[in-house]
Amino acid sequence: MTMTTGKPRRLHIPDFASQHVGLLSVVLVIGVFLAISTDAFATGPNIINILRQVSVMAVLAAGLTMLLGAGGLDFSLGSQVAVVVAVAAQLISAEVPVGIAIVIVLILGLLMGLINGLIITIFGVAPFVVTLASATLLDGAALVIMNGQSVSIGSALSELGTGTFLGIPYLLIIAIVACVFVGVVLKWTRFGRDTLAIGGNSMAARLTGIPVRSRTLSLYAMNGLFAAIAGVMLLSRLGASSPGTGGLHLELSVVAAVVIGGTALHGGSATVFGTALGVILLGMVANGLNLLQISSFYQPVSVGLVLMVAAIVNELRHRRKR
Amino acid sequence: MVPDPSTLSQPSSEASEQRPVLSLRGIQKSFGGPLALADVNFDVRSGRIHALLGMNGAGKSTLVQIISGSLPATSGEIVLNGAPFRTMTPRRARSAGVATVFQRRTLVGSLTVAENILMGELPVRAGFVDWREAHSLAGNALAAIRAEIDPRQTVNKLGAAHQTLVEIAREIRKGASLLMLDEPTAALGAVDARIVHDVVRGLAADGVAIIYISHHLDEVFELADDVTVLRDGHVVLDVPVASIDLKELVRAMVGEDVRSERRPRNNAVGEVRLELDDISAAGEIDGFSVAVRAGEIVAVLGPAGAAQESLFPILSGLSSPASGVIEVAGETLKQGSVRAALRAGVRCISVDRMGYGLIPGLSVAENITALEQAIARKAFVSWRAISLRARELREQFNVVSLHDNPAIESLSGGNQQKVLLGKLLANDHVVACLLEEPTGGVDISAKAEIHRYVEDLASRGVAVLLASSDVDEVLRLADRIVVVRGTAQVAECVATETTREELVAMVLGGQE
Repeated sequence: MTMTTGKPRRLHIPDFASQHVGLLSVVLVIGVFLAISTDAFATGPNIINILRQVSVMAVLAAGLTMLLGAGGLDFSLGSQVAVVVAVAAQLISAEVPVGIAIVIVLILGLLMGLINGLIITIFGVAPFVVTLASATLLDGAALVIMNGQSVSIGSALSELGTGTFLGIPYLLIIAIVACVFVGVVLKWTRFGRDTLAIGGNSMAARLTGIPVRSRTLSLYAMNGLFAAIAGVMLLSRLGASSPGTGGLHLELSVVAAVVIGGTALHGGSATVFGTALGVILLGMVANGLNLLQISSFYQPVSVGLVLMVAAIVNELRHRRKR
Repeated sequence: MVPDPSTLSQPSSEASEQRPVLSLRGIQKSFGGPLALADVNFDVRSGRIHALLGMNGAGKSTLVQIISGSLPATSGEIVLNGAPFRTMTPRRARSAGVATVFQRRTLVGSLTVAENILMGELPVRAGFVDWREAHSLAGNALAAIRAEIDPRQTVNKLGAAHQTLVEIAREIRKGASLLMLDEPTAALGAVDARIVHDVVRGLAADGVAIIYISHHLDEVFELADDVTVLRDGHVVLDVPVASIDLKELVRAMVGEDVRSERRPRNNAVGEVRLELDDISAAGEIDGFSVAVRAGEIVAVLGPAGAAQESLFPILSGLSSPASGVIEVAGETLKQGSVRAALRAGVRCISVDRMGYGLIPGLSVAENITALEQAIARKAFVSWRAISLRARELREQFNVVSLHDNPAIESLSGGNQQKVLLGKLLANDHVVACLLEEPTGGVDISAKAEIHRYVEDLASRGVAVLLASSDVDEVLRLADRIVVVRGTAQVAECVATETTREELVAMVLGGQE
């Protein structure tokens, strides 16, 4: 494919990874640093623990990666998670069978995403505004549903939250499936390619006969579904729904992970591999601060710093391309 | 540095009215290739409206930019009110009294008239904007050009003509002895144009020298005192308007008949495949009708900004006109639906390739196959099939690039256009096709190729509609020519039975 560049290739890096050399090396450097400076970091249980913790974020970030690729945005994913967690907890504590409760919240997630999408496509309101409004609304709704108090579900979902398959946590398996799913959709399906075409130039996409509106709608609905899956995963890990679970705080970490991964906010390109690295990087930093016994107050500080550096690096990289 | 004989003949002690406000002495400009301006000499006098004419690319805009200091001349001298300048800068031009209203508006639509006129110098008292003073200053500036506009009004709410007046007021307020207007009426209807004309006449009566660029020849005869015609960077005519007639003016603009080779085409035209019947859209197109047969190329020719530019949104389905019927292959087309148009076999190519055609971020291969892929509506993408098909199409349309499958943005204009043609025209479902300025921003060799593709398209039995403002291209390609001016359809002729001069006169609006 690169017959025109004269440079001989010494090392073959797969295409999807070659654009992430920078981020990969940052992850490796931090990993090595933590492995040397702490005893606990480079142990199997700790690694598994990190991955389990970032699984929820990974599912959300995978969906958001696709949405950003289409030039969309959803600030309400974390709040949708909050609502899903609250509803699922109430249902399960009211002795609704777990399976039915899960189906109900998955449908609920789909609906929440669909409503966002409908408002954005029908009224043409900027996604930023629509989803910021729905984020605030849903955060409040979650508190109303929980009546402001924690709702415990006992051990109803603990198998999902703590169980493993061949040593791999179920949660991590779900996250990997979600990321692979998004990666495959983006690269090998018409839906995925249409997504990037819409993000690249929605007018040209429309004139090419791509159903821009229904694609956009599907993307928001898909993100709602992913938020519901993430919500169930989060509930299974926590065992209870409490005020402040999910919400804008979770959302911002998710957006940060996607941006750190190199997906541009203006649409037209998206990389779920980068997003996965972004999620892992944030998880490692949080874990590292913990192990180094640095106050947890520094965690948002570090997330903000990493995000800012990543944004600057991405901008510089784009500028060089131009 | 040949002194202008007319200035030599005047005793230098004469009244300033006799001295030109602006003298151009041997202005040359080269952008590396052939001269964009070659030895341009002419004078503009106080109180005179001086029309500057020329076809697209003749060098008018370049000259305006040089006089206003935004482009440096390669050589030559600009004399403003007797002071010679070898190098002009925007600041020097400004302080020497040169004011320019560019074709592209420079107003902030969401702000008020007063804020726009006083931009950057709003009066302030004790740190706060003194609105009373601002409105009175802006009101004075508007009164100075005899424009009746409320300075408190938001610019967006003004009509196009009044927006132009706001720009003029802003420029004149800074003190101007020379005002340059680049096609101030290009986008205006007759009534609106009159509003601008009155203001321009008033300014001339106040002693301002005016350079007025226009494409409307009747406007020139009505308004201007002097006229200078540029052709390929040369001054070919510089006379008082009273001493010339329309024919001479047109001949000066278009030059000798250098009609490019028309290739004899096998005009086996068939049934009507595309018919527009009485299409109207408010302010854009009015009662437009045309029928295009299979294998026929019909051009809709008009000056920039005229009705031919509204065909793209209407035919592509982006917007539906207020009234009228579109028939494709005998069936009425559902209007306002992109997908209905595509399904009916209508393909529309916009002059704005990157805005309305290609998708940045996707590769050439994906762009060139995008339409076929969208039509096929398969759930999964076969990269092998895309790359094979893309290779075929790239060969067919001769898309040349250094790399195998580069990003679409990295291609030249001509190659981008070929990708767009390949994307839209390759498959067999094409019934009718609208090409909007198909060779805009394209180099000469790509232009010839694109002309050939358009002809091939017609010979395949496609009904081809060409929306263009380029007289030569229309004569080169079209079988029939429909002339539009403003929103109206004004004439129709067979390409082989008309001359370039006739066509130019029809487009530019002589009373013939």
